[in-house]
Amino acid sequence: MRAAKSSAQQLVGWRIIASPKALDAVKWPKGSRVVRISPDDVFLIGAVEPKVPDDAHAIVTPEHGFSGVELSAAQVASIAEQHIEWQLPADWPSMAQGQIAGVPAKLLFAADGSALLLVACAASHELLGRLGLAS
Amino acid sequence: MGRVVYDGTPIEFADGDSLAVAAIRDGQHPARGGTLCLAGDCGNCVAVVDNVPWVRTCQTPARGGTVVRRHPEVGHPSPGGAEHHAHVSVRHRRAEHVVIGNGDSGARAAAEARSAGHDVLVLDSHDGNDVVGIFDGPTIVVRTPDGIDQFHAHHITLATGAAEVHPVCPGNMLAGLYTPKAAAKLQAAGVELGRVVTVGRDVVALHGESRVIAVEVADGTRTECDSVIIDLGSAPRDLLARMAPMVPVTVVGPAAAAHALPAAPKEGVVCPCGKITVEDLDGVWQKGFQELELVKRSSLTGVGTCQGGVCMPHLRAFVADRSGTEPEPFTARPAARQITMGEAAAGYHIDTFRRTPLDAEHAALGATLDRFGGWFRPWNYGDPVAEYWAVREAVSLGDVSTLGKMIVSGPDVVEMLERLYPNNVHDIKVGRARYVINLNERGHILDDGMILRDDENRFTLTFTSGGASVAEMWVRDWVETWGLRVHVLDRTVSHGAINVTGPLASELLRRAGVADDERPKFLQHRRLEVAGVPCHVMRLSFTGEASFELHHQIDRSVELWQALMHLGAPLGVKPHGLQALFGLRCEKGHIIVGQDTELDSTPRRVNMDWAVKLDKPAFIGRDALLRTASMPDPRRLFGFTMDGPAPLEGSVIRVNDEVVGHVTSSWNSPLFGHAVLMGWQKRLPHADVVEIDGRDAHVSAIPFYDAEGARARG
Repeated sequence: MRAAKSSAQQLVGWRIIASPKALDAVKWPKGSRVVRISPDDVFLIGAVEPKVPDDAHAIVTPEHGFSGVELSAAQVASIAEQHIEWQLPADWPSMAQGQIAGVPAKLLFAADGSALLLVACAASHELLGRLGLAS
Repeated sequence: MGRVVYDGTPIEFADGDSLAVAAIRDGQHPARGGTLCLAGDCGNCVAVVDNVPWVRTCQTPARGGTVVRRHPEVGHPSPGGAEHHAHVSVRHRRAEHVVIGNGDSGARAAAEARSAGHDVLVLDSHDGNDVVGIFDGPTIVVRTPDGIDQFHAHHITLATGAAEVHPVCPGNMLAGLYTPKAAAKLQAAGVELGRVVTVGRDVVALHGESRVIAVEVADGTRTECDSVIIDLGSAPRDLLARMAPMVPVTVVGPAAAAHALPAAPKEGVVCPCGKITVEDLDGVWQKGFQELELVKRSSLTGVGTCQGGVCMPHLRAFVADRSGTEPEPFTARPAARQITMGEAAAGYHIDTFRRTPLDAEHAALGATLDRFGGWFRPWNYGDPVAEYWAVREAVSLGDVSTLGKMIVSGPDVVEMLERLYPNNVHDIKVGRARYVINLNERGHILDDGMILRDDENRFTLTFTSGGASVAEMWVRDWVETWGLRVHVLDRTVSHGAINVTGPLASELLRRAGVADDERPKFLQHRRLEVAGVPCHVMRLSFTGEASFELHHQIDRSVELWQALMHLGAPLGVKPHGLQALFGLRCEKGHIIVGQDTELDSTPRRVNMDWAVKLDKPAFIGRDALLRTASMPDPRRLFGFTMDGPAPLEGSVIRVNDEVVGHVTSSWNSPLFGHAVLMGWQKRLPHADVVEIDGRDAHVSAIPFYDAEGARARG
C-alpha cells in the first residue's frame, strides 16, 4: 500500500533540557503533546511555555525546528514495511525514533496506532520525498 | 513446449526445463564449457538473459521468447540494460526464526524450532526466495520475484545442504561434463546424453576440443564418450555461513558436515569463474603468498561469481599439499548470487542533504545550489565576482544557517568549557565572544567556531557546518565522561542565521531598526529585534569585513531575509554564495577546517598557537601539545601569492623538483589582481619561493587582506 500524500506542518513548541528528575516532575501545560526525546530532553508541542521548577539551569527555549505529519495506523504500517529497519513499539501510546528511509525521524504513537511523524524541518523535504508523501 | 533464443538461434524447450537444460537438450553447453551441476553452485552456466548478465541459467525457468546470449569468450559482458538496474522495492520483514533451505535437514530444523515454540519462516530458492546475503543485524537479504525482502531475524538456521565437487584436471572446461545429480536431472528430463561414462577420483584427464570425446583414468584407461559423469562427492554448501562470521548462524545437516578434501590438483582450471589454473596458483605460491587468504587475493581464485563454491575444496587441497596444514575456508562476500544494481541498491539511502529555511529564496534569486557540509547551499547567484565586491564595497547577505549552534548551561559549564577548549573561557565576559578551536586528545584540530557568553552559567557555542553533526556527540560525551552538571542543546537545525557583512552592514542594521548604541561591537553579541524579528546578533568576521550574524528561529528566516534584501536595496545589497565567501576568507587567511587542515594538524602547524593557552591546567589535547611543543616540526601552512590564474586546490607544491606539499585554498583575488593561496610545506628548510603548476609562487604573510583587522572592527 502506498501512503497517501500528506503535508508536513512546522510544529510550534518548546524544547526543554533539564535533569531527568526535574523533567519527570514537570506539570505539562494542558493540551500540549510531550515528546520525550531522551531522559534529559523534551520537545513539547504546544504554545504555552512550560516551567521547570526543579532545575534552575534548565534550558527552556522555543522550538520551531520540527515538521510533523499525521499518519494513520495503516500508513505507519506501510512505511514501516518499506522504509524502517528497526522494530516499532508494540505498545501505544509511545514514542520511537531512528532512521526512516535513511533520515533521522521520530514517531509519536497515539493509543490507536496512528502516529505523528516528526522530522527536522531541514530534512523534511528529503524524508517526505523518499516516503512518497511530498505534496 | 516453447522456444527461447540462444545466441540468436531459436531452440525448443520442454515444460519444466531451465534455460540450461533447454540448451543441453539442444546439444549445446549453456555457457561455453565446464562441469555442470545444475544446482546453482557454480558459474559454469551463467549467461546474459534478457539483457541481464551473470544469470545462472540452471536456476532460470525457460519461458517462451526469453533471449539468452553467452558471455564473451574474453572479458566480461556489459552491465546490461538500464531497465534492469532501475528502482527495486524493498520490504522490511521480521521473523523470530528463519530456516534457510527446505530440504531434509531444513525441514527437520524447522520442525524442531517450532516444537521449541519458535515462530519459524522457511526460505528456499525453489519457492522463489533466493537468499543472496546475510549481514550483521542479523539481516537476511532475499531476492524474490516482487523485489528484495530484508528479514530481520532473531535466529538463523542454515540448512543449505552440500554441493557436488567439480573435477580439476586437464580438459575440465570442456562441454559434456556433469556431476551425478546434474546427470540425473537431465536423464529425468529426457535429455539425450549419448555415450555416458561415469568416473570418480581416479579421473586424470578429459580429452576433446570443445566437447569431451574421451576420459582417461589413473590406470591409463581411455574411454571414448559423449558425456562424462564425474562423482567426486560433496562439500558443504556453506557460502552464506562464511558470509557472516559475526552473525550467530546455526548450520545443520550436510552444510555442517565434515568432508575429506579432494586430492591436491595437479593440472587444470581450479577456478572456472576466473579461469585460474593450478599453474597460476603455483606462480603466486612461489612469489611467497603461502596462506589460503593470500593465495585467494593474489590469484583472485574464489572471488568470482560462485564465491568459492567450486574452487574452495581444491584451493584448500592445494594449500594443504604445499604447506602441510589444512586451512580453514575463506570468508565469502555478498552477494551469493549475481544481482542487478537495482537489487543491490534496494533499501539503501544516500546521506540526507538538508535544506535551510531560505532554500526557496536562494532558488528564486537564481542560485546554483550545491551539496556542502551536509547541506544544500548556494554556490553562487550567477556572478561570484559581483558578490565578492558587494561584500568588500557595500553590503551582502550570506545564509549561514548551516553553522553548528549549541546552548550549554549549568553550574559546571565554565569548568566544562575550560576542559573542552584550549583557550581561556572563565574570562569571557557576558555579552562577549571568542574564536576557538577544538582539539582532540592528540592535539589535532577537530573544528573551530565561536564561544559566546550569555550569562554566568550559560553559553552559546558555534561550530562549522561540517563539524556540527558530531559536535553534539563530542560535547555530550565529554560532559558525561567528566560527570559535570551541564545541559546541552543542539540548535543547528532549529535556528537560522544570516550574515550581514560589508562596510555598509551597520547601515543596513540601522535601517532594520537597530540603533547605533545597541549594535554590538566586534566580538560582542546581543539579543535584538532586527526588522521586527528577534535575533541573537553576533558581531564576528569571516569575510574580513564588518559582519553581523543574525541567529533566529527558523520560522522567521524568510521574513528576515526578505526584509534585509528590501531595506538593503538602496545600499546595493546582494546575496553571496560559498564561492565568493571562500575567496573572501582566503584573502583574510581564515582556515577552513578539513580543507586547510589535515587529520593531524596541530595549532602550531596552521600558525594558531595563539589560540592555545598551555598554561591552563587541563584541556583536551594539552598533554599531546606539551609533549610535541619542543620537537621540530617541518609541517607548516603558508600563504602564497602568484601571478596568473589561481592553481587548482590540491595542486602539488614543489621545491627544487621535490614535492613538499599541496595547495589547500586558492583564489583569483579581484582586489589584488593576482592569486592568493594557502598550502603546505612539509619539508625543511621552508622555501620563500615554491613552484606550483610550473610557476613561481612567493610565500606571503597571512592574512593577505587587512592585517590589522580594522575593517572587521570598523
